[in-house]
Amino acid sequence: MKVAASRRDFLWRSGGGLGGIALAHLMQSSSVRGGSEPGVLSGQLHHPPRAKRVIQLFMAGAASHVDLFDHKPALEKHHGQKSDFGEHVEAFQNGLGPWMRSPFTFRPYGECGKMLSDPVRALGRCADEMAFIHSMVGKTGVHSQATLLQATGFQRPGFPGAGAWVSYALGSESDNLPSFVVLPDHRGFASNGPKNWDTAFLPARHQGTIIRPGLRNPIADLRADPKSFVTDDGDREGLALLKSLNQKHQLATQGDSRLEARIRSYELAAQLQLAAPEALDISGEPQHVLKLYGLDPPRSSFPTKINVPEEISYFGRKCLVARRLLERGVRFVQIWSGCDNGFPRRNWDSHEDISRDHGPLAEGMAVGTAGLIADLKQRGLLDDTIILWTTEFGRMPSTQGTKGRDHNPYVFTNWLAGGGIKGGTTYGPSDQWGYKPADRDKPTHVYDVHATILHLLGIDHEQLTVRHNGIDRRLTDVHGHVIHDLIA
Amino acid sequence: MTARCPLPAPVTRRLRTAFVAAAFCCIATAAPAAEPESPDATWWSLRPLVAPPAPGNIDSTWARTPVDAFISRTLDRHGLSPSVPADRRTLIRRVAIDLTGLPPTPGQVSAFLADDSEGAYPRLVERLLQSPRYGERWARHWLDVAHYGDTHGYDKDKLRPNAWPYRDYVVRAFNSDKPFDRFVLEQVAGDVLFPTTVDGVVATGFLAAGPWDYIGHAEVPESKLDGQVARNLDRDDMVRTVLNSFTSLTVQCARCHDHKFDDVSMEDYYSLQAVFAAIDRADRPYNPDPNAAARRGALDRDHRQAKLRLAELQKSLAAKGGKRLKRVRDELDRLGRGPTRLPAYGYHSSISTSPDTPKWVQVDLGRPRKLAHILIVGCHDDFNNIGAGFGFPQRFRIAISNDPAFAKGVITLLDHTAADFPNPGTRPVAVSAAGHAARYIRVTATRLAVRQSDFIFALGELAAVGPDGHNLSVGRTVTSHDSIEAPVRWSRRNLVDGHYHRVKVTAAILARAVQLNRVWTTLRSELLTPEFLARRQAIERQMARIAGQVAALPKPAMVYAGTVHTGTGAFRGTGHQKGRPRPIHLLARGDIRRKGKLMRPGTVSVGGDLPTRFPLPANHQEGDRRVALARWLTDRRNPLTWRSIANRIWQFHIGQPLVATPNDFGRMGEEPSHPELLDWLAARLRDGDGSLKDLHRQILLSATYRQASSHRPDASRVDNDNRFLWRMNRRRIEAEVVRDSVLAVAGRLDGRMYGPGFQDFVIEKPQHSPHYQYHKHDHNDPRSHRRSVYRFLVRSQQQPFMTVLDCADPSRMVARRDETISPLQALAMLNNSFMTTMSIHFAHRVSTETPRLADRVRLAVTLALARAPDNDEIGLLTTYARRHGLPNTCRLILNLNEFVFVE
Repeated sequence: MKVAASRRDFLWRSGGGLGGIALAHLMQSSSVRGGSEPGVLSGQLHHPPRAKRVIQLFMAGAASHVDLFDHKPALEKHHGQKSDFGEHVEAFQNGLGPWMRSPFTFRPYGECGKMLSDPVRALGRCADEMAFIHSMVGKTGVHSQATLLQATGFQRPGFPGAGAWVSYALGSESDNLPSFVVLPDHRGFASNGPKNWDTAFLPARHQGTIIRPGLRNPIADLRADPKSFVTDDGDREGLALLKSLNQKHQLATQGDSRLEARIRSYELAAQLQLAAPEALDISGEPQHVLKLYGLDPPRSSFPTKINVPEEISYFGRKCLVARRLLERGVRFVQIWSGCDNGFPRRNWDSHEDISRDHGPLAEGMAVGTAGLIADLKQRGLLDDTIILWTTEFGRMPSTQGTKGRDHNPYVFTNWLAGGGIKGGTTYGPSDQWGYKPADRDKPTHVYDVHATILHLLGIDHEQLTVRHNGIDRRLTDVHGHVIHDLIA
Repeated sequence: MTARCPLPAPVTRRLRTAFVAAAFCCIATAAPAAEPESPDATWWSLRPLVAPPAPGNIDSTWARTPVDAFISRTLDRHGLSPSVPADRRTLIRRVAIDLTGLPPTPGQVSAFLADDSEGAYPRLVERLLQSPRYGERWARHWLDVAHYGDTHGYDKDKLRPNAWPYRDYVVRAFNSDKPFDRFVLEQVAGDVLFPTTVDGVVATGFLAAGPWDYIGHAEVPESKLDGQVARNLDRDDMVRTVLNSFTSLTVQCARCHDHKFDDVSMEDYYSLQAVFAAIDRADRPYNPDPNAAARRGALDRDHRQAKLRLAELQKSLAAKGGKRLKRVRDELDRLGRGPTRLPAYGYHSSISTSPDTPKWVQVDLGRPRKLAHILIVGCHDDFNNIGAGFGFPQRFRIAISNDPAFAKGVITLLDHTAADFPNPGTRPVAVSAAGHAARYIRVTATRLAVRQSDFIFALGELAAVGPDGHNLSVGRTVTSHDSIEAPVRWSRRNLVDGHYHRVKVTAAILARAVQLNRVWTTLRSELLTPEFLARRQAIERQMARIAGQVAALPKPAMVYAGTVHTGTGAFRGTGHQKGRPRPIHLLARGDIRRKGKLMRPGTVSVGGDLPTRFPLPANHQEGDRRVALARWLTDRRNPLTWRSIANRIWQFHIGQPLVATPNDFGRMGEEPSHPELLDWLAARLRDGDGSLKDLHRQILLSATYRQASSHRPDASRVDNDNRFLWRMNRRRIEAEVVRDSVLAVAGRLDGRMYGPGFQDFVIEKPQHSPHYQYHKHDHNDPRSHRRSVYRFLVRSQQQPFMTVLDCADPSRMVARRDETISPLQALAMLNNSFMTTMSIHFAHRVSTETPRLADRVRLAVTLALARAPDNDEIGLLTTYARRHGLPNTCRLILNLNEFVFVE
């Protein structure tokens, strides 16, 4: 059984020969089309696309749906009463205390009248752009597996992130920036770290590239250590000499495009050295734009305790940088809020105190995200940019301790906005408590969300496959249904 | 193979899975484009392995080994001809990197070039095969497949400090040319088959080499669904690790449904899970010195015998005065018995690693009080069914004083520090205080109680009985040498809470306890004759001597392996059930809640008459299952095992395997480019002595291997991919070879072998989720100058420099590495601090060897490329060095295509 899909990879990997065909393809496109790299579906999408690029906002630690976007009057009414789920519930820790109302007040926003809690009130002005899914279900209450599931569609490491799939399918529109960029939380990685944006069995160039705005080296090894012997002059002349020596070697070893590709990669590297700082430099942004993201006035020192200004500052900056990257042709940007599950809490895993952690994290996220949506809209970019807000699972409507909530993999919330999404909609309600989907026979899975996003990008999620170890792998495994109710 | 080889069923479009359904399924999207071969044809990989005769009638002037006969015939068939031999400089660089992962030194190159005899090349191959560097290079290939790592991965990604003995095992196995069947047997069941050998035990590190979900095991018990899911996935990884690496069968597809393309049913798959049903990933001890293991065994036997003699002696005592003693004993026991269990257990010291760390606890009565008796009572720890007498010291003394430091005015009431005190359980032990007045009462443990592998001191209650029979210690201040304060169970306060075990200690109970103790002591002194005591002492001395000898033996080391685990908390393992395998059910759609029938241990059908279910007796041990699987893998009738490894060996020499999908010999995989050559190599390995080095020789000495890699337009028009090997492949060097070669030419490579991996990162926040900070590592640190195979491999956050160079990901079984070229790679090769640091060392090295700049440049090129530069190159590089320094020049040389490609 011969399969065309594996051909490409085979050539890519093969140790010699014209193993460079995939590379040649890269190189040709670079020279012919000015550097951008097409994907496997470039020029042959499955259907006309509604969107071209994606921003994924990932709340590490599991953000509480019932405290942000999924308003539950029943919890207000029955607050403090013994919780009764009507069935045996397996809690991750011991969070089956009395029903607990949200510590935050909810108010209606937009024409759709969506109820949002106070920490995310900044998103109120975007309410009519947003489409909520309140019936998301997971498969496990274990952070690592759940994070991988939402990020890669599989519960364990070794599968490509959604961004890697999109990059693989659509390629890059940028001359000199990576097509899949990850902006991690400034305090560290979430569960699984880079496994969440792994390229796995896809070619390595689809790996999420970590960018840390504000650092001297926002991309690893972009510049050598300034204390080293490396100088700009030395590099300029050195790269020219390297090229001429490599070309001389190549003349003697005809017919191996990898050698040429490698020569070209040094030119692209030099371009990236210029392009990345330019893309990340927000100093030229006008004041009204900075204000939009909560970045005016800029702040750089913060209290040690978790606090609103710090969350706004870091998250807002990542949102603004994301916009700049998208404008320059980056295909998929993943922004993280929250790091690992250590102490003190610097992520959304509020077992002890919802108000303490969710308050500042949500406000920082909401201010930056609202700025991003508004800014994309005023630039006409929102029409073909999909925004996905997600997390690993939700939190229980009952109390853990006195002020916290335990894991709820049985239901949680996602929302989407932008390219092709029907704003102001709410899909698949959860039950009155926010414990499980209202219609238990109609849960929404990450596969459905991924299928919908791929659909909007012009891709049939069942057709985007790569053979690996005898299996035709998909982002959506063997599942997934496009949620047409969410599409405008 | 014929019966169950369905056409690929159209996959159901709408597969609603419930919560905790299949974690990852693997059927292809829709049906694949082509239909599989006709159902009655046996798939190539399952045909019986029979050595084909090497073809005759071939170009005898070209061919050197039978390998060439097969290659030549295929080339002929396609109208192709082989290429000319590579020049000898290219050949030595090629074979040196291939076998050792390091470039040849200039001296080795010139010696080889100077020897133009026919035997020069075979001698070179032999020298390289005997080099310890060979095992380091080839171990890395196997570790890619085994997905070996030094952290657990997943959430938290904690360190796995005892994984490395397995990595060392693989290095040793290659260097010693361990027969391949033995290599398989050891890694699957070496602990059972060869328990007294080091290799037998550490090889089972293979089963545990992959990632482990720490939270899913250590924080979620097996009683919860999430815990069962985690354990199911963990066993799945073991099944895949064994079957994919040894047989190239993707059995994991059958976790949720019968394999759509290969003959693997769900029953087969869960039979394989049953093989590993008793084991977990955990540290297990092994004896690095097999002699010590034998000696330890003998001493343990002596110790057990002495213990038996002691028990006999005690029994004789009981026979004499037994009845009366027992009555007293029973009543003492009853004193503490009450209706409810109290939550407060007592005082608990910190944990010590040695038994002979004295620890004390003392009660302050507030002022000197007249004392009639002191009573102490052991704890009853209900947790983990430890029971009565938990933490009661083996040797101790009770003393009183008015000095809180017990430096002066000390009256010792009971001294039991010379001999062990039999554990009294929760029976009160009373000693007379003879009316002395004192403010402080101290109990000093001079030999601590044994916990599991460490030592503690715990006490439930201490009562100070005054002349009027009342307890004076209730609610008084307690101090101690150290303490674990973990209320409610453990706290110093508990020692004087006026309760022991289950009842409140009343004056009446105290009085009766004192009385019974007196009777007890009298009875015992009648029975304990000098002759009895002498006999007992002799036995005790012997036991102490043995214990001393055991302690003096080299300590057992630990290896992280697939093993029966005896743990506490959520991660208990099966050790508490003597390693009885967990029941494994067939799971409908892989859903842990949809348990089907109970599975027996077994495996898949590979055709022929090999059984698929293991005929094990009802009372078999856990290890028997793994032995059965290991025997099945190495059975000469198993057609897959030998083909799988032969294909891998070919791949690592030639740069492309004969079967393009080395981990999948099923119908979704590729077919071999040279089926007969593959079978010839596989059968040679099976029917010979299992020597991989023999296979290396067959390939390396062939004319095929020695061809030039030059491009030929005529041939490439016919066979663009060089599938038929009309030339040798030009290979790019892997991440480890880049790093090791840079260290070698810079003169920094530390050749020391084995041992714990070096860490080229700084760990921050190790308590919870370690942060691995690679950018904070100082590359001048000589500890990180060892070969890359000894690198400490982090799973979540992989080494960025190595990763960008396509190094294997330890979270996945990597049969073939990616080979990519990207701008990020160029940046890493230019700017990573490893490269800039080593460029300085490289410059320094050539500078110490020769004074002239042009000669330094010449030497640098010769070291890096195994050839001297021409005058043009020397001119350009010297000019550059003059303007921008020698380190910049060295850095440039290390970035040349010619450095990162073998040729």
